[in-house]
Amino acid sequence: MIVDVISEDKGKAFLFCNEAIVRGALEADVKVVAFYPGSPVSEILDTFYQISDKMEVKMEIATNEKVALEIVAGASMGGQRSLTALKSVGLNVASDTFFSLGYTGVNKGCVMVFADDPYCHSSQSEEDGRFFAEYGYFPLLEPTDPVEAKQMVKEAFEISEKFQTLVLMRTTTRINHQSTVVPLEPLNRTKFMPSSFRSYNRSYATVGSRARELKSELLKKRDRLQAEFENSKYNTITGDTSDIGIITSGVSYNYVLEVVRKLNINPLILKLGTTNPLPNNLVKKFIEPLKSVIIVEELTPYLENKIKALSKDVNPQLTIFGKESGHFSEANEYNIPIVLTVIREVFNISSEHDYEKILLDANKLKSILPVRIPVFCPGCPHRATFWALQRAVGNNSDKIAFMNDIGCYSMLLLNKKIYSKLHPDDLLLAMGATIGTASGVSLASEDKVISIIGDSTFFHAGLPGMINISNNYENVVIIVLDNSVTAMTGQQPNPGTGYGPSGAPKHKIQIENVLKGMGFENIVINDCFDTKSCIPEFRKALEEPGPTVIISRGPCALWNDRNKRKRGEKIQPFFIDNEICRKCHTCMRDFYCPAISMESEEGEYIEESGKTWNGYSSHISMELCDGCGVCSILCPYTDHENRSEKDVIKPFSKEREVRHDL
Amino acid sequence: MTYNIMTCGVGGQGLMLVSNIIGLTCAEYGLNIRTAETHGLAQRSGSIYTHIRIGDDVFSPLIPYGEADVLLGMEAIESLRYIEFLKPNGVIILNDYVWQPVQSTFDRVNDSEVKYIKVQDIIEKMKEITTKIFVVNALELALKAGNSLTSNVILLGALSKIKGFPIPKEQLKSMIPHVVPKKAIEVNLKAFEIGYEEIK
Repeated sequence: MIVDVISEDKGKAFLFCNEAIVRGALEADVKVVAFYPGSPVSEILDTFYQISDKMEVKMEIATNEKVALEIVAGASMGGQRSLTALKSVGLNVASDTFFSLGYTGVNKGCVMVFADDPYCHSSQSEEDGRFFAEYGYFPLLEPTDPVEAKQMVKEAFEISEKFQTLVLMRTTTRINHQSTVVPLEPLNRTKFMPSSFRSYNRSYATVGSRARELKSELLKKRDRLQAEFENSKYNTITGDTSDIGIITSGVSYNYVLEVVRKLNINPLILKLGTTNPLPNNLVKKFIEPLKSVIIVEELTPYLENKIKALSKDVNPQLTIFGKESGHFSEANEYNIPIVLTVIREVFNISSEHDYEKILLDANKLKSILPVRIPVFCPGCPHRATFWALQRAVGNNSDKIAFMNDIGCYSMLLLNKKIYSKLHPDDLLLAMGATIGTASGVSLASEDKVISIIGDSTFFHAGLPGMINISNNYENVVIIVLDNSVTAMTGQQPNPGTGYGPSGAPKHKIQIENVLKGMGFENIVINDCFDTKSCIPEFRKALEEPGPTVIISRGPCALWNDRNKRKRGEKIQPFFIDNEICRKCHTCMRDFYCPAISMESEEGEYIEESGKTWNGYSSHISMELCDGCGVCSILCPYTDHENRSEKDVIKPFSKEREVRHDL
Repeated sequence: MTYNIMTCGVGGQGLMLVSNIIGLTCAEYGLNIRTAETHGLAQRSGSIYTHIRIGDDVFSPLIPYGEADVLLGMEAIESLRYIEFLKPNGVIILNDYVWQPVQSTFDRVNDSEVKYIKVQDIIEKMKEITTKIFVVNALELALKAGNSLTSNVILLGALSKIKGFPIPKEQLKSMIPHVVPKKAIEVNLKAFEIGYEEIK
């Protein structure tokens, strides 16, 4: 909990790992932080967001990860301890600056936490960022849990200052999204004192001959780091002498610890906490007397290939059980069953654990279950936008190409049955890629290209592609889904929101002004909750040649609800008058709000003229309805402009509270 | 001794509050605990879970298949979805509630023969692997407590009554005021008691 993150007197607290990381940075007296949100590290930003003013931490939510890294690098060079945190694909965005930083080094402690996402819980690709550390010559620490994450992030500042380098700490989703009891040390925060960049009189410039000089220094720095890591307390050897050893790191270490207890064995385990540069001598000493070694690491054979190379010197006969041997996969994340199965086989012991049978039996029971795919929330502006867009596309579905992007609207792809007219799985690559690919598809083909992008993604990576489209007058419809915040990652403010951390006012950047500056002539602003009026605008844009940008505007429902709660407002849900519902399902068809379901009992409504309507009425859940009222606009038997008792969909007389955990 | 609780439901049902209360209690009273949570994409009306593991020998944040002592289901479909985690003849506390996925509504709108799944269909399947199923109408009880949003605390109260649950009831209850808003403390404490009394 937040109160524990800044607690002055507690000796321990139940912390979420991302909170523990913030605590570690605060204990290290961090002064400047900058982020762009991304799962699984968003809550590091969110936690700082709430406490930065109390703790005198200067914080910015940057336009993207590259800018965030540059902010903290500049702050370090300028004389303050600084930290950023980003997700795997965020490091791709930051990588241009990242590699140069290896050459120039930094000044005050500068730390970058980055998180890989095995299993792609919330990413478009499974990446192994450890290679970034090796390739960029950066020291890399890998914690196994929140307790170690807090210690390591704190120590990372010391290593950074000692070696004048950016220090990386790598986590994975299972580490970030874990909570446990974490020991706390004193905060000892000092007052923020402005420093003098000039007084340090150092150069952080790299190009040509200067870069060549820096490279040779960088190689020496790596060797010194390796020597340092040979004795790091984060690399440990435990267990009894045995022929078979286990080498592991990160969350896999936890699985190994529990598996050996389950199997009642106590083998030698080398747990690596510093994985670049690798403590080569320690590894060599560990593998030298072994007959075989099991290497437990998620994703690529990063450790395995290094250990294989090291074994050539000290133990060429060593058998390695890992990815190449086929024992472990390079895909997805691990768990106890996966690790137990391999260790049991290699140690040639038997146990009662029959995980395959458990899964098989469970799957038989589960065969009756319907799928549940994440969807837009009740009250989400996107649902209204895409209802109107589907109507506008109508029978021209085979004449469009649809460029999807990263944000809540990515979920269109998961629900492609509902949004089949839009072909939402045509393309989805990376933040902002919707724009550049739209140019390419429009060059190559005669289809009308629809490109969708959220407001935050627009600022993050959309701008260069947008300028390209305007400059080349491409035949594209761009829909900017402006819900005022970075919704998917937890509704953080972005340059278009108008405020920043701790609610401090910020210069609000209007998307339409940016577009005008870029030279776009066709700019349309839609109120997406006025659903039906959006259809002709979409239709016109689809028919006209050249680029049109439609800003589809409406606040994120979760963000809006939270603001309502702060203001003490309640939600007025809608309900369906079963007595007069014509059972036509217009409120559901193409709309599919999670708050609307179909009754299980059949009903009947007879009009005065004698016309009879039979079937299942719709039903709105009072607990789920957000009160946006769009379904009442869709209903052919409701006059939303002059509401009366004759309407099928009516506002409920009783209001409901907004959840307090929103 | 390790005690594993698998909680599951649909994004937005307040699962995190349940694991937070348990976690804070463990920190306060010196128990080792580790939890693994769902964040991000799945929270959008998707399927979510929390693994809660209590005990000195816990290292993995994830419960191994077949080792959950209790499966606490805020929603029936999602409770069966994680059934592989339950111990043979383990305890299920099941909220008597199905949140029909929009994908099922889609199927019904487009095919009049399709029916929604019912809680009873799910219970029948659960009976094949355990006899210890407690069905709780959390919404009804939450309304009785005074607020429909306390369904999660109703189920937490029920959990504290389960034989073998390692945290004394009063300890767990004492942490509720630390995590709910001030004006909601009383109604949540009441919900906890009602949930506790529901398990006979």
